[in-house]
Amino acid sequence: MSDLSRALQAPWPDLRLQREAVGLGMWFFLASEVLFFAALFCSYAVYRSFNEEAFRIAASHTKIVYGSINTALLLTSSLTMTVALRAAAAQLKRMTLFCLGATAALGAAFLVTKGLEYRADIEEHLIPGPNFPLKPAATAMFWGLYWIMTGIHAIHLTAGIGVVIVVLTLFWRETIPVQGSTMEGVAIYWHFVDTVWIFLFPLIYLAGRS
Amino acid sequence: MSETSRDRPGLWRGPLLAWFVLLLLAGVNLGSAYIPFGAGNVTLNLVVAAIMAIVLATFLMDLKSANMLVRVVAVTGVFWMIFMFSLTFSDYLSR
Repeated sequence: MSDLSRALQAPWPDLRLQREAVGLGMWFFLASEVLFFAALFCSYAVYRSFNEEAFRIAASHTKIVYGSINTALLLTSSLTMTVALRAAAAQLKRMTLFCLGATAALGAAFLVTKGLEYRADIEEHLIPGPNFPLKPAATAMFWGLYWIMTGIHAIHLTAGIGVVIVVLTLFWRETIPVQGSTMEGVAIYWHFVDTVWIFLFPLIYLAGRS
Repeated sequence: MSETSRDRPGLWRGPLLAWFVLLLLAGVNLGSAYIPFGAGNVTLNLVVAAIMAIVLATFLMDLKSANMLVRVVAVTGVFWMIFMFSLTFSDYLSR
């Protein structure tokens, strides 16, 4: 069986339409994800609009170096993911595998950096509760949102890394051909996780710097 | 298809340019956060973030070459998000 006939699934007449369909399905899923994250961003906006000064004080205690490194790591992972997608469509298997590996590695580097940041935050007791060190009390709202928003983002990224590793393994073993529509969905999801971070970065790390 | 070195620059050129622009914009966001603009800081940061999201969606998520149906679905989430923010703030800001 040729790679093309293995890649093409019923009912699609050609790979272009099949890829479009996968992309469309992923965009539908992401529309629901946008609303999921929008609820968190909306909570942040409401609390911040009523506690401007407390949010400024609280945000100045976030670790901007870790946040900035992670921004660069995620943006670079979007670059390697896009090249993996292009390489897969061009049937460049080695390049696809290399770029998928690089993407997963950059995602893992993000999580390691995040772990170091979380450790520093915990050492400073920046967890809303009895020993929370900041004043006024509304600073705890910011830090509550910090843990929830960055935590949920990290869970999404972890899922993304898992999917990338599975797809890489399937390509490696030639269980599925690289030029199929699999990469389309994986790439769009990965970029979405990056997009969420693009908005988290200014709201979490840049507030209260000036 | 064999992997020739000729194929590779073409794969990287467009995404590299978008990546460079994204890093540049992230740098603008980071740098501008230290300049006191008052309420202008968060506005500027969010405008730059929105431009970054548009660059990413257009050039890396390939909406530039997607058909109209895909583009419409892609903006659906943003459309309903605007409703979420509008209705929420119409309550809180009018109390």
